[in-house]
Formats: sequence, structure tokens, C-alpha cells
Amino acid sequence: MSPRVLGRAQGPVAYAILTALLLVVVFPFYWMFVSSLKSEEQMRTLTAMFWPSPAVLDNYRQLLGKTDFGAWYGNSIVVALSSTFVATAIGTLGAYALARLKFFGRAFMASATLITYLVPPSILFIPLYAQIRNLGLADSLTGLIAAYPSFTVPFVTWLLMGYFESIPEELEEAAMIDGATRFGAFRRIILPLATPGVLAAALFAFTQAWNEFLYALVFITNVKLRTLPVGLSTFITGDVYGWGFLMAGAVLTTLPVIAAYTYLQKYMVEGLTAGSVKG
Amino acid sequence: MATPAARLPASAALQRRGAGGGLARALGPDYRLGYLFVAPIVVLVLALVAYPFGYAIYLSLTRKYVGVPPVWVGFDNYVKLTWDGFFQRAVVNSFVFTFGSVAVKLALGMAMALVLTARIRFRSFWTGVLLIPWVAPTVVSALNFLWIYDYSLGVLNYLLVKVLRVLPQGVGWLSEPGTAMASVIAVNVWRGFPFFGISFLAGMKAIPAEMYEAAAVDGATALQRFRHVTLPALQNIIIIVVLLSTIWTFNDFTIIYILTKGGPGGATQVLPVLTYEIAFGAQRLGEAIAVALYMLPAMAVVIIVLARHMRRGRAR
Amino acid sequence: MDQRLRHLAEQLDVGLIARREFLRKAAVVTGGAAAGLATLRTMASAQPKTKLRVWLFKSFVTNANDVLGRQIEAWAKERGVDVELDWATFGDREPKFVAAIEAGNPPDLAEMHIMGPTRYKAVLRDMSALAGDLARAKGGLLPFAETAMKIDGKFLAVARYSMTTVFFVRKDVMEAKGLKPPKVYDPDVVEFARKTQDPSKDLFGFGQTLNRSDDGDGFMENIFWDYGGGSWDKDGKPALGTTFRAQNLKALQFAVDTIQKHKIQPPGVMGWTDVSNNEAYMAGKLVTTNNGASLYYAMVTKKHELAAKTQLVLTPGGPGGSFVGSSCYNWAIFGKSKHADLCEDLIRWVEDEKRFSEYLHVSVGQAGPVYKGRVDHPYWKSDPNFEAIVQNIVRSVNYGHPGPLTSAAVEVRAQHILTDMAGRVVVGGLSPEAALKEAHARVEEIYKMRRT
Repeated sequence: MSPRVLGRAQGPVAYAILTALLLVVVFPFYWMFVSSLKSEEQMRTLTAMFWPSPAVLDNYRQLLGKTDFGAWYGNSIVVALSSTFVATAIGTLGAYALARLKFFGRAFMASATLITYLVPPSILFIPLYAQIRNLGLADSLTGLIAAYPSFTVPFVTWLLMGYFESIPEELEEAAMIDGATRFGAFRRIILPLATPGVLAAALFAFTQAWNEFLYALVFITNVKLRTLPVGLSTFITGDVYGWGFLMAGAVLTTLPVIAAYTYLQKYMVEGLTAGSVKG
Repeated sequence: MATPAARLPASAALQRRGAGGGLARALGPDYRLGYLFVAPIVVLVLALVAYPFGYAIYLSLTRKYVGVPPVWVGFDNYVKLTWDGFFQRAVVNSFVFTFGSVAVKLALGMAMALVLTARIRFRSFWTGVLLIPWVAPTVVSALNFLWIYDYSLGVLNYLLVKVLRVLPQGVGWLSEPGTAMASVIAVNVWRGFPFFGISFLAGMKAIPAEMYEAAAVDGATALQRFRHVTLPALQNIIIIVVLLSTIWTFNDFTIIYILTKGGPGGATQVLPVLTYEIAFGAQRLGEAIAVALYMLPAMAVVIIVLARHMRRGRAR
Repeated sequence: MDQRLRHLAEQLDVGLIARREFLRKAAVVTGGAAAGLATLRTMASAQPKTKLRVWLFKSFVTNANDVLGRQIEAWAKERGVDVELDWATFGDREPKFVAAIEAGNPPDLAEMHIMGPTRYKAVLRDMSALAGDLARAKGGLLPFAETAMKIDGKFLAVARYSMTTVFFVRKDVMEAKGLKPPKVYDPDVVEFARKTQDPSKDLFGFGQTLNRSDDGDGFMENIFWDYGGGSWDKDGKPALGTTFRAQNLKALQFAVDTIQKHKIQPPGVMGWTDVSNNEAYMAGKLVTTNNGASLYYAMVTKKHELAAKTQLVLTPGGPGGSFVGSSCYNWAIFGKSKHADLCEDLIRWVEDEKRFSEYLHVSVGQAGPVYKGRVDHPYWKSDPNFEAIVQNIVRSVNYGHPGPLTSAAVEVRAQHILTDMAGRVVVGGLSPEAALKEAHARVEEIYKMRRT
């Protein structure tokens, strides 16, 4: 049922544009992948620029065998999943209230939530660090899990507010007439319907948590507790970049998000469809 | 998802919910569940955003060096910045970077969405692939592009000089004032356009097919269908995506910091990088925060004006 | 989670928090009082161990990092102390220090850059006794190192080693043309570069960025001194566009000329980061460049073919002499540390000559001497290329030269004032006079801010 704007000419035109976009998008990743398989010697001598000759797994072997990369991977997964769970839970409840319930201060809170998005993270991290430390969470993954919702919750809330607004109110009314409480209606009727939206919001939150750099750099000092982006950046030891090594780390860091998105992207589109149109 | 049908009058439900006594009259019918549900957000925003933000504003009104207590100076930092040539240049660069990036992202995102609603094979696979730049960690992408742009070993020069032979000699992409800004914008665009694309795609999918059919019956061309059906229906989503992206791009630190650190000769110096430099290079925290905060009201105004303008366009 | 609980249990052990408090916090952390109790029981049997947080500089010389890490761990085992090491690279260092200091959570001990003691003097501990002991035992500190470690008459840090830059020359290219290493930039380096380069083959005579970077800023500073100028006068007052205006203009003009007039630099040099000239040199695209010993280390350890074809010589000079700055890395203890004695013990341990010698050997010239006694270490005779490194270090001067090392001088360097000035000319198209005037105003402003 998807509308076709491009009309009859769409075939060739669409494929041409698609090819161009794909080239632009895929080539850097291809390059990253190829670089990760090249030997240092080949890198320097510019031989066989576009493929590894010979393909070597040294970079990967070194990465997994000689560094804490594995531990960082685990940390990133723990932090991203937990903070996503927290942010999605908080955001879902809040968004439902802001979209549906009638209470004093609702409009103000709704716009305040979005306005927090304007605040540049670069000025927050020092006071935020002090705050995290006051809570006794400095240098722990829990600290990051607590801090990340500060930037994921506003987005999740905004997205889901739109989504909840798109669900007909009569559904709740009907449930409540059948004797359900407001909360019961939310839990049994609205929440299941909102699943695609919640999934989309969770994906957003996960991506942002997975990519976060500055807070993770500052809040964590224990090498074993680093997350992937920070860990990766420590491979840049200043004077000579081990490009192949760095790219091997980049490939492995990018894989899970790619996997998640190729599998879940249809929820993303679905979640955005209802959510953002109403926005 | 289905779009909502016409809503029933909600008065019946309202009456029922309104039976909560005086408090309910003062605070609204759903105040109990409402406050319960928003409480976590309020706590979170107060503790992790509002309080640090308030403290940051206070610091921007002080002279504050690392490790020593702040000294109140009122608006000195802001006044000083106003006349500082380097700051002024960073402001201009920030706007060039932000609006340059957002404009291109808007165009590419629209192209991506149109392509993905066309009749092509493996559509959902391509959707997933085109999303990758947006989900790959920024640090990773920025490093990758640093490597791609590299003058002597980078693949871009190799491609243009040795393979395609369109250039006689490599270009220092990040080191020439003429190309540096465009090069960092390109990376931001590369990373950001899929978000535009997927949001527009979602918006287009919500447009009922009958609207296109009706337009087709009226003999509208593809371009006319796009202008009169697609664009108006997407108006809202365009506003939101542009606003979000403007904020993200304006605050983007990683890409420029990794690629140029604001160089060459300040050609790509933007406010977030300047903030960082003043905070950690000069170690003047008060002034650094003032740099970051200086444009906040202006950004808010830009966003409001933009939103109004686009909404007015929709009313027409 | 586990980590956090252990931390709580430790606090309980040393009496920092009451049992009730522990239970409450543990319950919050674990999500249940029962789990908290269970953990408490297992923790009760654990030994109370002092925990020391040590931040180290992650040097490019990775083998040396490994050695230092191992030595510290050996110390920790010997003393029965828990040590938590954190390695920060160049770029990550400052945000971590700033955030930690501002949040009141600095490490106990940190390995710092030469700027450290000046920058963080407000929160560092007076280490005069230990610094004096070590200096006496090692034949005294080199003058530039002593100046940088001793702030307002007190040693705020213990010097460890120094990193300097030297002039890298392709010996094979030089010999093929029958040339000698250049002594001054103008005309020696220019002529040397012109005679040896071949841009058509992507080979350039000189690779020196004027971009914001350690390499760029270091070069600009050196060359101003070489021409008899500098940013500061003898008394530490701004002199960039006043006292030394004539000399500085000449120096700036020369720096710009290497790109615009003499054309001895590769295109793109204005965008170089600290990495770029290393890569370009190792790719065989440069005949000469200024760099730290780390480039030599990289070539030697990777058995790069250019290692044997490289000669390290003294940094060239100018009409006013030949100057070079080095960074004295050092140990500093934060005033907040409750384990200053342990930190001092650790410093003595790693600065022990036998252990330092092990570190020195894997550093391939990067771990230059700061103590006079280490200048004569036989290691420095083991490779003729080391001669220039040692000589450069011995004659080093500090930020602020010819005046004192001040906070303002450190900030001028950290704010990249000199490279920004060069950028304004090369990239921004300003006249050198105008750029110098603009930069002077910035120096004046920093001077004013830092004095109050």
C-alpha cells in the first residue's frame, strides 16, 4: 500500500538514486573492513588499495587476545541495554501521561522535556560528574546507566508522546466502561498497541547509549570498566595510528548495531510512522 | 499503524474521571496517575539536567580556573566574548556548519525516502543498509573519515587521482581552507541523513494511498504529486526532524574535534570545539561554559522562528 | 554492581560508613536487603586492602607502558596494596583531570605532562623532601626540569623523564646528494630541502606543520626563540608584538615562507595533526621533519626499512641561536590523597635506577634524562642517533623563555596562540604584521587574566 511518488519513471530513477546512496553509505564501511584486514606493510606501500593482499587476521587476533576489548564489549552491552531499559520505562510512562492524562502542569512538562534537549552536553558533564559522584556511582557502570537517561529520556518521551496520541482514545474509554481502571487500560490495551513505538524508541536509546563517549571517558577510570568508544579511542596512542588495528575495533564495534537495525528496522519505521507524523 | 478515526466526544469519560473531588478539580482529573507516571522524568530531569545546568549557568558568571574556587564576575565573560574575534568566527562557522549540514541532509533524506517508497526489490534490506551511518558510533565514523581523507595514504585522493584521474594531484581535504569546512560537513551529512530518510519514509507510509490515487486520477504528474500530496503531509515531520537535527548538529563536537580540531587556521572552529579548548586548553571553566551558553537563546529563537515559518507554510 | 558492593564493603571495613548505612546502600545496589546481607557475609572475610588510584600517561612507546605497568603491579603485590591504574592518552588527559579535580575525586598519584605542576598547583601536594632526595641521589636535576617542577619555591612534582623533539634526516638521500645536515633553518634547511626534494615523485624536502598540534606549536615556539624573539620578555611580560616584534616577524615570515615561497613542504601540511608527519615520513614522502623520538621508536620496533636510513640531528636554529623545548614528565600527588606515603614509596620504587633502566631500554630514546646522573647512562651511547636527543634535552628551555615559566605562558601554548597566528597568515590571508598584532592582543589578555 506504499504510495509511489516517483510514478512510472520510478524503476530506473529509483535504482539510480539508490545505487548512488548505497555507494556513499557502504564504501566507507567497506574501506574500514578492508583496512582491518590489511597488513601494516601493505597499508604503507599503497599496494592493492581496494582489497587486502594478503588478508591477515593479525589485527583481530591482537585486539581480542592482547587487549581488554572483550571486557569493554561486555561493558558496552550492559550499559547500553540497562540504560535503554531504564530510559524506555521512564519515557513510556511519562509519555503516556503527557499525551493522555489530564493534570495540572502537563503542557509545561511536555515542552520542558523537549527543551532539555537544547542543553549542550559539553557543559553538563562536569557538574553531572560531581552529581554522579555524590550518589556514590563514580567509576562504575551503574553511574553510566544512571547518567545516560539524561539524554535518552527526552527523546524517547517525545517520540512516544506522538505515538500514544495516534492511538484512538476510544479504546481506553471502552476498556474503562468495561470496568478496567485507567492503569489497567494502559497496561492491557494501550501498551501492547504501542509496542512498535516503544521498540523504535528503545532502538534510539540503545544507539545513543552505545555511541556515547564523553561521559564514559570522564566517569570511568578503571580500565576494565571502559566502554567500547572510549576503549577504541585509547588505541590512538598519539603519534602513529595503528590504522588496521583501529579499523578492526571499529568493525567489531559497529557490527551489533548493524545487526540490531537490519533486524529491527521495520519496527523503527513503524514506530516513527505513527509517532512522528502526529509529533 | 492505523491513523485514528474521528474521535468520540470525550465528555462522558471526562465526567467520570472528574469525580475525584476538590483536588481533581484543581489539578486535573487524572492527577494521581499523571503525577505518578511523570515523577520519574521530573526527578531525572531535575537531578541530571536542571541542577547541573543551573550550576553551569552560575559558573558562566564567574571566573573559574580548575582547582580553585570561582570568583563572581557577573556578565564579564559574555561581554568579553561579544568582542572576541575568535569567538565571532566560531559563531559564524557554527551556523555555516549547522545550516549547511541540515540543508544537505534534508535533500538527501528526501531522496532516500522517495527511493525507499518506490517499487524496488529488497526494500527493507536497503532500508537497513542505508541506516547504518546513523547507528555506527560517531567516534568510529570520524576516525574512519580521517583515514579516508588522509592526504598521502587516504583512499579518497587515491580514488580521484589514480583511479578516476579527475585530479592531477591529491587534495589536503582537511587542511585547505577551501575544502575543510565542506569536508567536515560531508561527514556530518553522511552520518545524519539516514535519520531524515527514515523519518520521512515513516511519514510517507502514513499517507493514505487513496490520496495518491485521487491525485493520479486528476492527472497529476509525479512532481505535482510530490508537491501537493507528499510535501504537505510531511510538513509536520519535516519541522521536527529539521529542529532535532539542528540541535544535534549545532552541538556536534566529535566529528570536528577528531577531523580538524577546528583547523586549519580556525576555518572549522565551531562553538562546541571552542568550548572544549577553553575548558581544557585554557582551563577557564567559566568562560568555556559562557561560550556554550552564549548562543542558546539565539538557537531557541532560530528554532521558534523556523517552526513558526514552517507552520505558517502549512496553513497556506 | 559487584564492584560497587565491594567498594561499600571496603568502606565498612575501614570504618568510613556505619553498618546500617552499608546495609541500606547495599540494599539499594543489589535491589534487596537479603542479597546485601549475603554479600556482607562474604565480604566480611575479605582482607581490608588499601586502594591506590594511579593515573598514567599512555605513551606512544607502548613497550615502555607495559614495563611501567608491570613494575607498579610488582610494587602493589610487594606492599599488599590494591592499585587501580588508568592510562590516559594525549587527547583524553585534560578532561579527565579537570573533571576529577572539579568533582573532588582526583587520583592519588598521577604521571603528568610538564604543564601539570603549573596548571594544577592549587591541588597538588608539596613534595620537596622526596624530590630533593631523589635529585641529590641522581646527580641533580637538569635546569629546565627543575624550573618546571619547582613552583613558587616548592617541588610539586618529581621529575621522571623528558621527551624532546629532534630533526629527522633521510641519511640515504642526504648522502646521495653529498650534503651535510643543516645547522640553521634559513638558508640551510631551505637549500637542503630544495636540493633533495622531488615533488613530482611525491618527495618533499621538509615536513613541518604550522597547525594546532604539539608538533606545530613546538616548532613555532622554537623558531621564535631561534630568531632572538619569543612571546615573553625576561620578566615574563608579553613581548610578542612589542619588545620582540622585529625578530618575531622574521620568524613568522620564515615559517610561512617554507610553505608559500620556498615550497619545500608537501601540500596539506597546514591540516596535519601530530600523526601526519610520522605517517608521511614513514611512507618515504619526506626528507626531513621535526619529531619526537617516538617516530624513531616506531620505525625501530617495527623494523621499518627507513630506520637504518635515518639520522637524528640537533634541531636547526636561526640568527639568535638554536632553541628547543622538551616536556619533563613527572609524578605528582594530589593534596586530597590519604595515602601520600604510599605514593612516595611507589615513586621511589619506579625511579630506582635499575627499574628505570629497564624502562629506558624499551623506550628507544623517548625516555630522555631529567637527572644529570642519567645523562651519562651507557644506553645513550648505544646508538649514534641518541646523541642529538640527549643534547637537545640538556639545552632545553621552557614555555615563557627567556622569562620564567608562568601560568600565562602555559596557557598561551595550550591555547595554540602561535599556530593560530601562522594559520591566520597561511590560511586566513592576513599579513604577518596584522596576525602578530592580533596574537599579541591575545597574549596580553591571557597575561591580564592570569595575573589577577
